[in-house]
Amino acid sequence: MNSTTVSSKPQLLRRVFVWELPVRYYHWLNAGCILVLIATGLIIGDPPAIMTSKEAHSSYWFGTTRFIHFVAAYIFLFNFLFRIYWGFVGNKYASWKNFIPTNRQYFKDMWNILKSDIFMTKGYNVHTIGHNRLAGFIYFMTFIAFGIQCLTGFGLYSAMSDWWLPNLFSWVPYLLGGDFMVRTIHHWATWFFILFTVVHVYLVFYHDYVEGHGEISSMGGGWKFIEEEIFKRKKKIKNSNL
Amino acid sequence: MLTEISTQRKTYYEELQDKGYSRRDFLKFCTMIAAYMGLQSSGAAQVAEALKTKPRVPVIWLHFQECTCCSESFIRSSHPIVADIILDKLSLDYTETLMAAAGHQAEEAMQKTMKDHYGEYVLCVEGSVPAGADGVYCMIGGKSSMDILHEAAAGAKAVICWGSCASNGCVQAAKPNPTKATPIHKIIKGKPIIKVPGCPPIGEVMAGVLVHILTFDTLPALDGIGRPKAFYSKRVHDSCYRRPYYDAGMFVETFDDENAKRGYCLYKVGCKGPSTYNACGIIKWNNGTSYPIQSGHGCFGCSEESFWDNGPIYERMVNAGGFGIEQNADKVGMVALGVTAAGIAAHAVATNLRKHKVVDELIAEGKQSEHELKKD
Amino acid sequence: MARIVVDPITRIEGHLRIEAEINNGKIEEAYSSGTMVRLIEEILRGRDPRDAWAFVGRVCGVCTTVHSLASIRAVEDALKIVVPPNAELVRNLMFCAQNIHDHVVHFYHLHALDWVDVVSALKADPKKTSEIAQSISHWPKSSPGYFSDLQKRLTKFVESGQLGIFANGYWGHPAYKLPAEINLIGVAHYLEALEWQKEIVKVHTIFGGKKPHPNFLVGGMACSISLDDSSGINAERLAYVHQLLKQAKEFVEQVYIPDLLAIAPYYLDWGAIGGGLGNYLVYGDLSTSSYTDTQNYKFPAGAILNKDLSKIHEVDLRNDSEVQEFIPHSWYEYAGGDGVGLHPWKGETKLNYTGPKPPFDHLNVEEKYSFLKTPRWKGNAMEVGPLARVLVGYASGREDFKEVVDSTLSKLNVPATALFSTLGRTAARGLETILVSQWALEFYDQLIGNIKSGDTRMANMEKFKPETWPASAMGVGHTEAPRGALAHWIDIEDQKIKNYQLVVPSTWNASPRDLEGKPSAYESALKDTPIADINKPVEILRTIHSFDPCLACAVH
Ligand code: HEM
Ligand code: HEM
Ligand code: NFV
Ligand code: SF4
Ligand code: SF4
Ligand code: F3S
Ligand SMILES: [Mg+2]
Repeated sequence: MNSTTVSSKPQLLRRVFVWELPVRYYHWLNAGCILVLIATGLIIGDPPAIMTSKEAHSSYWFGTTRFIHFVAAYIFLFNFLFRIYWGFVGNKYASWKNFIPTNRQYFKDMWNILKSDIFMTKGYNVHTIGHNRLAGFIYFMTFIAFGIQCLTGFGLYSAMSDWWLPNLFSWVPYLLGGDFMVRTIHHWATWFFILFTVVHVYLVFYHDYVEGHGEISSMGGGWKFIEEEIFKRKKKIKNSNL
Repeated sequence: MLTEISTQRKTYYEELQDKGYSRRDFLKFCTMIAAYMGLQSSGAAQVAEALKTKPRVPVIWLHFQECTCCSESFIRSSHPIVADIILDKLSLDYTETLMAAAGHQAEEAMQKTMKDHYGEYVLCVEGSVPAGADGVYCMIGGKSSMDILHEAAAGAKAVICWGSCASNGCVQAAKPNPTKATPIHKIIKGKPIIKVPGCPPIGEVMAGVLVHILTFDTLPALDGIGRPKAFYSKRVHDSCYRRPYYDAGMFVETFDDENAKRGYCLYKVGCKGPSTYNACGIIKWNNGTSYPIQSGHGCFGCSEESFWDNGPIYERMVNAGGFGIEQNADKVGMVALGVTAAGIAAHAVATNLRKHKVVDELIAEGKQSEHELKKD
Repeated sequence: MARIVVDPITRIEGHLRIEAEINNGKIEEAYSSGTMVRLIEEILRGRDPRDAWAFVGRVCGVCTTVHSLASIRAVEDALKIVVPPNAELVRNLMFCAQNIHDHVVHFYHLHALDWVDVVSALKADPKKTSEIAQSISHWPKSSPGYFSDLQKRLTKFVESGQLGIFANGYWGHPAYKLPAEINLIGVAHYLEALEWQKEIVKVHTIFGGKKPHPNFLVGGMACSISLDDSSGINAERLAYVHQLLKQAKEFVEQVYIPDLLAIAPYYLDWGAIGGGLGNYLVYGDLSTSSYTDTQNYKFPAGAILNKDLSKIHEVDLRNDSEVQEFIPHSWYEYAGGDGVGLHPWKGETKLNYTGPKPPFDHLNVEEKYSFLKTPRWKGNAMEVGPLARVLVGYASGREDFKEVVDSTLSKLNVPATALFSTLGRTAARGLETILVSQWALEFYDQLIGNIKSGDTRMANMEKFKPETWPASAMGVGHTEAPRGALAHWIDIEDQKIKNYQLVVPSTWNASPRDLEGKPSAYESALKDTPIADINKPVEILRTIHSFDPCLACAVH
């Protein structure tokens, strides 16, 4: 097994304020929107057979489903835009630098996390306070997926709206050769969100279980609990935002 | 722009004046023409009148890789009817489908228009141009369609691309596009190009585009990819009379079922109306008689780019290339989800095996604290 | 000896080139070449068989419907799907509407200008024209005022100096024989037919949603019958169809046929020109019960060889030694070489252009010279089309055929042998249109009767889902397209199209020579045609147009 600095001797833990309130709000709003968008989206893609003898005017469930999708979509968009903004003004754990690989060390760290956390083979443990490099990079991919979903979603929506905001996206179908392709991408991308959610939730539990830093509750209260020893080591590395 | 065709072009009379002929010469010429055509003496006055009025806009209509259904659709226009268009509104100087002349005489007619009306004629193109094998997959009069298109486009005021063939390549451009069928806008640059997609476009839409040019002396306003906004700015879905059933979630599950007989929405049997821009639901077909959805079949998106490759007609989702007919995004997604779940389960088991030392230490540490608490 | 080229042949569908050797004022040899290819058979590979009708429908926008019909029948044959009677009847009605439309448009807009001199019509006396018109039919638009207004309009048009589609025609050519008055009637009905033709196609719009290219469905038709609902086929829709069919019959009987019979007497010499092969092939269609019930076809199937009307040969589309396609003069290659003929279930479509590089003056007819393959039936070159159908119907002793044929022969006072000619082909097209416009009303009544009896089924969806299909299946579907016998062969494997082959009427007629150098119908019919002026070969147009060429069909 790999080296670990932790011993069974009780550790002194330092409380670190990692996730500021806006990040936590953002996170849960985002998670909620995504769950709603996945659910309503899949229904839009393949509606269930509901046999009814009602007249069309007395039912609107499909329209309502779409309405919810669009409401969630707007919230999702603004929330996402807010998070981009916060990436520049928030604390170092929220900074955009966590997500975008800027040097070789970033990739090296990612590879080590893959080895130690995912494949559980040899490798050194990278102790992090905020996101680890791999998580950060995956969130970066996720943000790109957010972008794709917003572009394609609002690209489709632009045909249904007269408002200038959705119409900012009306070039998307032209670029992609028509609504059909836009919709296809939108639908395929949905599966990225589903897979991400499942893996992400698992990994949050995993980290909490294996590291004991209070990972799960950190998205509630904002606090993580880091070994004093690690904390001191981190302090020596200048400009570390880990 | 286009306007100038009819306002700037000189009449025959004006042309004669320019060349130094007098009014007397002109009238003599008219009498001669009238006699030549076997008309009574009053005919000369009519001839003079006609030659003093504006000429009709000359049109050259080329036929390449096509099925000619665009021409067929055009002659189905009911307002205006085609007889009126070709006798009174424009001068259809070349179209292989209807013209009397053949062979050299046909070629001559086209050359004459290209020369006499250089910069003034409207070029209509039906069909795509095969770019494969030096253009041998479509040859007319021993020339390749590629050469003919370039030659005819040179002096055209504007180019109208009839149908999906000329606008996006249509069926012959479907995978694997063995002849490299190419739409016109990818070949001709630097000319106003109007795309009128549809397989075929609605006859009244075709006539409407021409009539717009002739009546308002301008090209119709085009959208981002060159289609007249007048006919392509709305989705079939937005004007569909079955739309309330869509919103109500009442769908035809299979053809000729009870729901089909009640006219429910065709979304689940593959209707592509939600992603198709065309005027079918509004103008309808053949003088408003019906349109695909009204006759029980979904729209399959015949005016959209590469609609032939947009998945099976009777399904809404696009297939994943190489996965076979059955595989769509959801099926692939389900499999991926299953694999992920299995991976997570395996990882969880492995964690407890391989990381048990780390976890054990954490637990021991916790127990230690608990123990120490008790000690005090 | 002179080699003349007519390319483009206009007033047809598609890109056809004729090269002819003229000797002593007659055609000695003629070569027919199709010069545009799309390779739709290759594009179909790997696709959903249920979608094939839409792809092959786009083979042709002139005979739209016939390929779609052959296609769904081929798939239904492969998957053993039984179609409800209402769907069969609706398909028959669409067949009839297509046939009538295609023939009328062909006669007036594609063929008439070979016989009718538009410019001569300017000299007609409107009063005399009116008298002639009223003597040949009851058609209401035949007053002197009507014709003189038309003439004025025409005059104004000609005077404008912009002759549009009439520019550069062979006007004034000595081969034009009609009096000015009949020419004027011809022009009048050219315009009327142009307006009328957009009506009859509404039958397709009602059942198939649009025209050209109406929608079809494997298993039936998508237009449900809903007598108690505003959606689908109800009393209003049916009445609309009835009205259109009645109007069509009226137009055929009062305009098309009278014109045909008024023009023909001036061109009886064409009853001895352009006969060609003398072999005729018909697959048959239009059953009163079910498509699979070949005994009840209104158009009986069969083959006639060497003009011998006393023997009708049976035709079997599944027999691999009957219908075969050859490529000795076609720009393709077969894995087995150029010496073999392939039955369509084993058909191959691999392009290999070996002709001259454009621009060129002449094709090398000794080698490959066309994008059409060369189909043969038991090794014989066959003519397909209205003449073949009329002859097979006539030779089968069918009363309705006998009646129209005999009465026409006696009206024109010509022997039955005049049928084997350019004029015979053009006349046969008219005669079958009379029959089809009558049958259409019978099918309509049958449909009403069926619905009345309580059967409102329009589609059988039991085997629509690919999961219900066998791992592999082969099928063939046929019909009688306006231009002749049409069949599609499909090979389905793992729910996808493995091979799809069309053998099309114009492929039979317009194809290049075969292995033995035997010409197909066009080339054979042009032989010995007199050409008065090699610079204005209107005679070539007459015979070629009598077949109603469709080259998009022929090559596909
Ligand atoms: C995580 C984000 C999202 C997910 C998972 C998602 C998922 C889906 C899915 C699965 C569909 C059905 C596609 C189909 O027709 O097969 C859909 C449709 C759609 N989505 Fe989203 N979506 C998301 C975000 C958005 C956003 C931001 C918008 C912006 C407005 C949007 C707008 C639409 C529209 C317009 C449709 C088509 C609905 C219709 O035609 O009625 N979506 N979405
Ligand atoms: C639909 C469900 C969810 C989505 C889409 C989602 C998405 C995200 C995203 C985008 C981030 C990056 C945050 C940032 O810095 O902006 C993140 C981080 C985080 N999420 Fe979630 N989340 C979901 C559910 C959960 C759940 C259920 C938990 C815990 C109970 C959780 C706990 C966390 C934690 C602790 C982090 C920080 C982890 C780290 O930095 O490694 N998330 N999540
Ligand atoms: N040849 C041919 Fe067709 C017909 N009739 C098809 O099968 O024309 Ni376009
Ligand atoms: S666009 Fe469609 S309808 Fe028009 S010529 Fe092409 S295939 Fe025919
Ligand atoms: S039938 Fe098609 S176009 Fe009409 S509402 Fe349903 S999905 Fe939309
Ligand atoms: S298939 Fe085409 S005809 Fe209209 S309804 Fe759809 S765009
Ligand atoms: Mg073929």
